[in-house]
Amino acid sequence: MGSFVKLIGLALVINACLGATDVINKDIVIKKFERKIDLTSQLVKIVNKITIENTGSSPVKNFLFLATAEEHKSLSYIGAQVGSYSLTVAEINIANHPGYFFYKVDLRDVLQAGNTAAVVEIEVVLSDALRPYPASIQQGEKQLVVYEGSHLVMSAYPVASQTSTVTLPSPNIETYSRLKPVSLADTTITYGPYENTPAFSVDPLKVHYESGGPFMTITSLERVLEVSHWGNIAVEETIDLLHTGAKLKGPFSRYDYQRDHNSHTTVKSFRSVLPASARDVYYRDEIGNISTSNLRVREDSVELDLRPRFPLFGGWKTHYKVGYNVPSYEYLYNSGEKYALKMRFLDHLYDEMAVDKMMLKIILPEGVKDVELSTPFPVQREPDTLMATYLDTVGRVVVSMRASRLTSNHIQDFTLTYTYTSLLMLQEPLLVVAAFLLLFIVVMVWVRLDLTLSPDRAAEAKMRVSSHCSLVSSHHHKRTNLYHSMLDEIVKQQGLGNPPHALAQFQTNIKKLQQSIRDESQAIADLLSKIRGDNSEMAERVIELQKYDKDVRDAVTHQCNNMEKLLSKKMAKQAYADADVQLTKKREDAMDKVRSIVAHL
Amino acid sequence: LRPKKSKMVNEDNKTSGVVEKTEWKGKWKATWEGQSEFVFQALVLALICILAFTIRLFSVLRFESVIHEFDPWFNFRTTKYLVKEGFYAFHNWFDPVTWYPLGRNIGGTTYPGLMWTAAILHRVANSFNLPIDIRNVCVLLAPFMSALTSLVTYLLTKESWNSHAGIVAAFFAAVVPGYISRSVAGSYDNEAVAIFALICTFYLWVKSVKTGSLFWSGLCALSYFYMVASWGGYIFIINLIPVHVVALLISGRYSHRLYVAYTTMYTIGTLLSMQIQFVQFIPVSSPEHMAALGVFGLLQIWNGVVIVRSLLSPRHQKNFFRVVILGAFAAFMGLLALAYFDFIPSLTGRLLTLLGFKEDITIVKSVSEHQPTSWGTFFFDMHLLTFLIPAGIILCFQRLTDENLFIILYVLFSSYFSGIMIRLVLVISPVACVLGGIVVSELLSTSFDVLTRKSKTVSGVKKKGSSVSQKGGALITVVIMCIAAYFYQIHCTWVTSVAYSSPSIVLAAQQNDGSRVIFDDFREAYSWLSHNTEPDAKVMSWWDYGYQITGMGNRTVLVDNNTRNNTHIATVGMMMASTEADAYPIMQALHVDYVLVVFGGMIGYSSDDINKFLWMVRIGGGVYPRIVESDYFSRGGAYAMDASASSTMRNCIMYKMCYYRFDETMTQYGQPMGFDRVRGVEIGEKKIKLTHLEEAYTTEHWMVRIYRVKRPEELSRF
Repeated sequence: MGSFVKLIGLALVINACLGATDVINKDIVIKKFERKIDLTSQLVKIVNKITIENTGSSPVKNFLFLATAEEHKSLSYIGAQVGSYSLTVAEINIANHPGYFFYKVDLRDVLQAGNTAAVVEIEVVLSDALRPYPASIQQGEKQLVVYEGSHLVMSAYPVASQTSTVTLPSPNIETYSRLKPVSLADTTITYGPYENTPAFSVDPLKVHYESGGPFMTITSLERVLEVSHWGNIAVEETIDLLHTGAKLKGPFSRYDYQRDHNSHTTVKSFRSVLPASARDVYYRDEIGNISTSNLRVREDSVELDLRPRFPLFGGWKTHYKVGYNVPSYEYLYNSGEKYALKMRFLDHLYDEMAVDKMMLKIILPEGVKDVELSTPFPVQREPDTLMATYLDTVGRVVVSMRASRLTSNHIQDFTLTYTYTSLLMLQEPLLVVAAFLLLFIVVMVWVRLDLTLSPDRAAEAKMRVSSHCSLVSSHHHKRTNLYHSMLDEIVKQQGLGNPPHALAQFQTNIKKLQQSIRDESQAIADLLSKIRGDNSEMAERVIELQKYDKDVRDAVTHQCNNMEKLLSKKMAKQAYADADVQLTKKREDAMDKVRSIVAHL
Repeated sequence: LRPKKSKMVNEDNKTSGVVEKTEWKGKWKATWEGQSEFVFQALVLALICILAFTIRLFSVLRFESVIHEFDPWFNFRTTKYLVKEGFYAFHNWFDPVTWYPLGRNIGGTTYPGLMWTAAILHRVANSFNLPIDIRNVCVLLAPFMSALTSLVTYLLTKESWNSHAGIVAAFFAAVVPGYISRSVAGSYDNEAVAIFALICTFYLWVKSVKTGSLFWSGLCALSYFYMVASWGGYIFIINLIPVHVVALLISGRYSHRLYVAYTTMYTIGTLLSMQIQFVQFIPVSSPEHMAALGVFGLLQIWNGVVIVRSLLSPRHQKNFFRVVILGAFAAFMGLLALAYFDFIPSLTGRLLTLLGFKEDITIVKSVSEHQPTSWGTFFFDMHLLTFLIPAGIILCFQRLTDENLFIILYVLFSSYFSGIMIRLVLVISPVACVLGGIVVSELLSTSFDVLTRKSKTVSGVKKKGSSVSQKGGALITVVIMCIAAYFYQIHCTWVTSVAYSSPSIVLAAQQNDGSRVIFDDFREAYSWLSHNTEPDAKVMSWWDYGYQITGMGNRTVLVDNNTRNNTHIATVGMMMASTEADAYPIMQALHVDYVLVVFGGMIGYSSDDINKFLWMVRIGGGVYPRIVESDYFSRGGAYAMDASASSTMRNCIMYKMCYYRFDETMTQYGQPMGFDRVRGVEIGEKKIKLTHLEEAYTTEHWMVRIYRVKRPEELSRF
């Protein structure tokens, strides 16, 4: 299977090469070629303004642009435009010209015979084209770099007139090569104009000058976009940064570094521009937060001032992560179930940035289908993978792709379309709900489940008895209170000193209370019969309780009777008092016993 | 965070008060009994668990989710290895990046319980598709285990007193600073899981003595195994439990339950503990474990005696006893003889230090947490509980049971050990919570009883209600208890926030305008090491920073916090104390590429290498007589860095590396150049020249200075 795929791939490549092979059109002459080489940063930016003329008889649709092998190696961006209209540029093969790489630029309008086309502007960005020389310097020394190119422009056609200007970051120039006419003004070297140079003419150019840089290359970048349909896109960028300027030779001195405030070659900090809606920004590495950063919220962006843990000198590297959230409504569009994610393939990391290798991963929600990707420039698409995070079941589709040699010219949008049923958004909340429901159901079933092989009659009986016993004691408490009420009645009579109708009143009250006592005792007797079936020991106790209770009742009744007698003057006061003392003692004894029984119920 | 927390605490206090109240309000009694009370207690315990977890998060909120201090970095690194490479690879791991050139057999020299726990939690979370980073698992493990510790404290107290005391004890245990000191988020150390294992083992032990069931003793053995896997402090368990057994025997509380519990626990527990690579045959060979073995034998004899006695007639019993006593005496004399003729190995040095008999191991003494504990520390770490312990002991004696006896013994022994070393306050804290719980719950329940007792006549007799003075006393007790609990909580929160929540790898200070300035120099240096030195570079530093350099800097070190080889450490100390010319050949022989020193003179960070330097000299001098401590003192006998510093001091590489080019800086306004803000002096040696070393990196606040050792071919140019 694998080899089959490879075969197809090979066939495609061959096909592409064959199809793109072209010949140089002898009819084209370049009337005017203006080249501006910008060396102010670590990137070499060359803007070529080309005016072509069709000297032949047939119309011309396209023309060729040239790059040397060195340029091709460090080329990270090429783009052509007429005015503000972009032209398509494609690399093609031309036979018999080794050492040169050709780019076919399609013209906007067909160039008729004998006509001159509008000015075509071709922008080329080279990274790694500058070489620090000397390759290593001591702390505090100036950093010098060398640019090597050609005095004459690369052209597959004869050039009638050409000029090149080289812009440098500072007027400190060690040496520069000369091909007359040449002039130097402040930071600009102008070569030319040179007239009527034939095709493929080369003359080596070399500029050795001071450049502060910063020379920083991202050796590897991983950008992860996690799309959530709940309204958030999480962005995380993992960055390996290398200072590619002249290497530090000899010791590092913190003292000198702190004293020297204009050492431009060292990277103290740099500025990263995030989208205006970025929130929850973090900046950390594998051992925790990097506590030295500043965040500034501007009108149209969020500026992150990143300071690595340590200043970067030539050859030093560092590694960090920057992450933030952006709201998805700015980047996610939909029509029905069709969704399109339109986001930057690469975002601004620092000014004049150069990225060697990049991996972009897009984590889509669970359950997306029909993923289609379109990128602004060719990338290498990796096979999709699955990733499972919080509450996932089948996993999320991860679309990943690689690209290399990127600069800020590549900050362009990609578009990813997919279909997604919104109902799937409910899957995870429902999952949680279902899990909890299940838990509750399991608990509910579990507590009701009786897994004992034989029913534990003893335990059941025990529980029954204890509930009956508590009822008994509550009835008993009521009964005791009634006794107390009776006694209170007696005491009341003692205090009143025998008013008229006292006897009748007393008798009705006592009768009422006695009736209630009888009811309570009856209730206890009923409970006793129930207890007897389960626990004879307890039943014995209740019987005992009833027995002593009878003593109490007798004593109280007796006291009441005595009171009645006293009230109806059938009894002498002294006799009543003597009897009362005896009866109280009897009652107390019985009550003590009752109490101890009740305590053990 | 603070108001929220104190609110929660108030809730806790209130609810535990309610528990007491309900118990004593007759009409509620029926409703609250059984399941409702269980649910209620579960609710309170859940709140306590949340409290125990959240109070430990100060450092995460104030700084970040990061591993703290020194040892946790080693544990973190090994846990990452365990997660990445698997169980068997971890146990067979020979780590070449530490103790260069010796290396370290990690599997055989660590207690793996902590790493197991973290790795298992990580694995479980990930198998449920919860991709929690292993770092976060490690950072939050200690608070998580603390919540569990509160639960087992509840169980232990419930088992030895009652569940109300358990609730109060769980609350105390959730916030006791003595334990928090070792279990804040990020403090990923053995003690974090070990205290849980310790209390769990004790709970299961008490439970198995109470029930005499094989099931509980088996669980106890398993818990003991977990403890052995986690911390060297398991020695405490394996000695305390035999002591408990002996105490029970002496006090005439022997029972078959005890026999079953101990024999099961001892045999299974010992066999299991021998499965740990680091422990292996120690349980049967070292004298620390002999008490347990002896008690095991004693129990067999005792049980035999009990059986035989039940079979003999009274006349034979007397003779039998004589034989037994004579036999015991003979055995004891035999043991003495064996000990006299050195057949029994004597206790190891570290244990003797622990017992307070020996005080001359320099390397043990050099650690600040090994210093004797001061009275203030007890109050600082246990607050209210310090005063409740004696009351708790009295209560336990009043209602003495097998379980209470254990609590009493535990507190007696742990109070002795915690007096010897500061770090062992950790061991006494949980039992202080148990006793505190018992005392407070008893006081509260008695008070509520008095308060709610009504004057009424029950069963005809006038039962006297509490008098006004009684009620007043009870009310005052309740109020005092509430205030005490409130201040306890305030104190614990304050201690946690102020003393125990600093990650110590990141320092913070207040500026004059109130803003916070962060000193992140350690990570700056380690990050520089890991990115900008050769992957196989060897870094020499004092052992304190070994774990951090391997953990964060990912570079090979000579010595680290696992101070197992005194000679090697002494060699490093000797090099630091030598001149460049003397140290250079040894550095070459040990393939040292970088030397790292910590220097606080710039910003006033006092625990720097200059302040530790005397220990380096002492430890180095202990092995290499060439290094003499007195040479490093000034003529007046002072440890000085200023102009009076001795020439030996000025020429040793430690001095030179710390103060290299320091004399050119202005550290404090109004002071001369090169003013050391820690020592408060202007340094004596100016214009320091280095020949064999060169400054490779110095951090922003000069706290970490890294020097590169020049290769011989670089030297020949001079």
